[in-house]
Amino acid sequence: MKQPSVILERRGSVALDDYVADVSWSGDSRRLAVAGGEGKVFLLAHDASSMTARSVGEHGMGAITVAWQPRGAAFVTSGQDSRLALYDAEGTLLCEQRPAMAWTTAVAWTSDGKRLATAAGKQITLWSPSLEKEHAFAPSSATVVALSWDKPGRDLGAAINGGLVVHRVEPPRFQMRHYKWAAPCLAVAFSPNGRYLATGTRDGSVHFWHLSTGRDSQMRGYPSKVEQVSWSGDSRYLATAADDQVVIWDFSGKGPEGSRPLQLRGHTDRIECVAFQPSGNYLVTGGRDWRVSLWLPGKSSSALDAQLTDSEPTCLRWSPDGRFVAVGERGGKVSIFELVRIA
Amino acid sequence: MATTDRVPVTVLTGFLGSGKTTLLNRILSENHGKRIAVIENEFGEVGVDHQLVIGAEEEIFETNNGCICCTVRGDLLRILGQLLKRRDKFDYIIVETTGIADPGPVAQTFFLDDDFKQQFLLDAIVTVIDARHIEKHLDEMKEPGEQVAFADVILLNKTDLVTESELERTERRIRAMNGTAKIFRTQNANVPIDRVLDVGAFDLQRALAVDDSFLEPEYPFEWGGVYELPAGRFTLRTGSDAHAHHDHHHDHDHGHEHHDHGHDHGHDHGHGHDHAHAHAGGLGLVMLPVSASNSAALDASIELAVRAFAEDATSVACGGRIVPGNARYAIDVDHDGSHFDIEVSKAGAYAMFCEHAPAEFDLRIDGVRPTAQRAFASHHHDEEISSIGISDPRPLDAKKVNDWLSYLLQSRGADIFRMKGVLSLKGEDRRYVFHGVHMMFDGQLERSWPAGTTRQNTLVFIGRKLDRQELEAGFHSCIA
Repeated sequence: MKQPSVILERRGSVALDDYVADVSWSGDSRRLAVAGGEGKVFLLAHDASSMTARSVGEHGMGAITVAWQPRGAAFVTSGQDSRLALYDAEGTLLCEQRPAMAWTTAVAWTSDGKRLATAAGKQITLWSPSLEKEHAFAPSSATVVALSWDKPGRDLGAAINGGLVVHRVEPPRFQMRHYKWAAPCLAVAFSPNGRYLATGTRDGSVHFWHLSTGRDSQMRGYPSKVEQVSWSGDSRYLATAADDQVVIWDFSGKGPEGSRPLQLRGHTDRIECVAFQPSGNYLVTGGRDWRVSLWLPGKSSSALDAQLTDSEPTCLRWSPDGRFVAVGERGGKVSIFELVRIA
Repeated sequence: MATTDRVPVTVLTGFLGSGKTTLLNRILSENHGKRIAVIENEFGEVGVDHQLVIGAEEEIFETNNGCICCTVRGDLLRILGQLLKRRDKFDYIIVETTGIADPGPVAQTFFLDDDFKQQFLLDAIVTVIDARHIEKHLDEMKEPGEQVAFADVILLNKTDLVTESELERTERRIRAMNGTAKIFRTQNANVPIDRVLDVGAFDLQRALAVDDSFLEPEYPFEWGGVYELPAGRFTLRTGSDAHAHHDHHHDHDHGHEHHDHGHDHGHDHGHGHDHAHAHAGGLGLVMLPVSASNSAALDASIELAVRAFAEDATSVACGGRIVPGNARYAIDVDHDGSHFDIEVSKAGAYAMFCEHAPAEFDLRIDGVRPTAQRAFASHHHDEEISSIGISDPRPLDAKKVNDWLSYLLQSRGADIFRMKGVLSLKGEDRRYVFHGVHMMFDGQLERSWPAGTTRQNTLVFIGRKLDRQELEAGFHSCIA
């Protein structure tokens, strides 16, 4: 057996008395904001020796999402009180908004941190970094499930029940393009090189659109709905998951059409989270088997490392510098692992 | 994941003003020890002091390319997914739909994928109906019929606002549409909470309890009664006694006004429900001489009555004559206060069979009461929505059953709202139990047949334009 060269090493954990619905790293990779499923908003700080947590806010019946502004000093949270809240890096509430009666279930900053998109029910809204409303799109034909910006922050992809919509955002012009696909979309992600837009669907398939031509390729054969899609930093690989399978499509050469995907085996129950390292090729996955696995697709189809959690992992996030992985759990634990090379 | 882990969900439907919100508020205020999360429609009026009330915008979408019976509620998917994150804070979910909602998409949401099925257990669909207005609603719109058809539990509410005869007619009509729902007559939606929550209607592990009367043979009449009549002339009377010269119908006085309303309605609109039909062709009636005026003699005459009902009817206008024998009459009850003469040439016992229950028309023979009577299960209705039950002891071939049910789901899925059954498969000691909502289907082998009991297939279909012959032929093709 080959000796693993890279592992996940636990740097610290805190137990929050809450379901961890979402976590987000600060731009300097030193802090974590946490959305608690039962309502609390936490701010976590870590250094080489310790991890501390404090509660900084509350979202009524439950917090849903949290997103730190890239390169910025603020983060935004949403919750089941229909609020959208903006905090500074110290956890001071700066501003709040109520975009719609429905809950805001998806938030996405542009990569330069200059614009925020949120989705509440059928309503997609654009905001400035200080949470001033810039634009509210006409309601979508169906509930918006996920959002993704392309790297320049010009196109906003929205996965909706019954299709995929791309809004071109060039204020004051706002255009919409509808990619018609009858199956409800559950996940959406632009490739970092801007050439593809990938979606996972409820009917057990993955689609990607070649953005230059609008051509749509459908990759079928998944055992169930596909809620997770993630691109590698170099846009070569698209990681997807359904049930206990991790399926990787290789976009090098002629692309994945007609090819057999890589299948990564190791999980024994449904996979809940899939995340490629930003600007890197390491992949982490977390599943209902209470396991977080580290992979290097293309090099090995077995996991480089696996760490057991105390309960089901609910979210996995790489720090912007690609060094750390934050793992949130259903039972309230948040852990930070460091990617470590061993001699 | 263990079954006990799943959160039970009750879907609450009912037309505006039916008392749905009254029921919901009662459930929430009663001390039942449950922590209930309510997903309310956007027009909901639940007391705001209840902690876990979530407003939803009903959003229906197709999960499958262009298939209308694979529609689900998109908003529910999102909300329920979020609710799972605070599992410790509640242990029951009630989904209230808007008054005009088709319950199909709501129910189907819970069958959408395995992930969802592991987390939630659809407990029952509860429909509250306004006894006073339901018939009008059934005639004028399609949603109330769908709400009746999908229901596991029906609250026939506001019974204080209608007469007993109207109530009976309404219940009969509802029963014809949905043969398996538990029907409770209520005022102010006053029903014990355990009759609407934790019902287990979709729980395959509980045996399917189907009302036996639903599986009885069907008759072309709904009522039969025997009378002891001396020779002479008698007056058969329906409706109010506007024409009557005698005044011994005091027990019906209370109902006149409402009853008039019902008749006016059927008359004015003529929507083709059973009464409009009865009015148009006349109320079917047979009067037979029988051996004695007791229930045994009544039962013995059923076969003869069925045969008589197969004959062409002789129309009788108001004031016309009825002679006991094996002729079928169609008496004109088109206006209130009809009366007909019955000529009895020989004293003795006579059985009368009516197409509809006498209570629906205040049908009676002046001065005489039946000495024995019984109601019959009749599915002789013009309702577009109906229930069809099949009961048969012969073991079935598993593969043929599979083929037949697959075929049914694919070809008739849009019209079959609900189906459920317990099957006896050849060479299998366990019972096969299934249920379905449109094309969403769930079935599995359950506990063994209890020792000493007779193995019996029991199937129920509720839907629109169901063809009994087609379903029975399909079933027969599965016999091993």
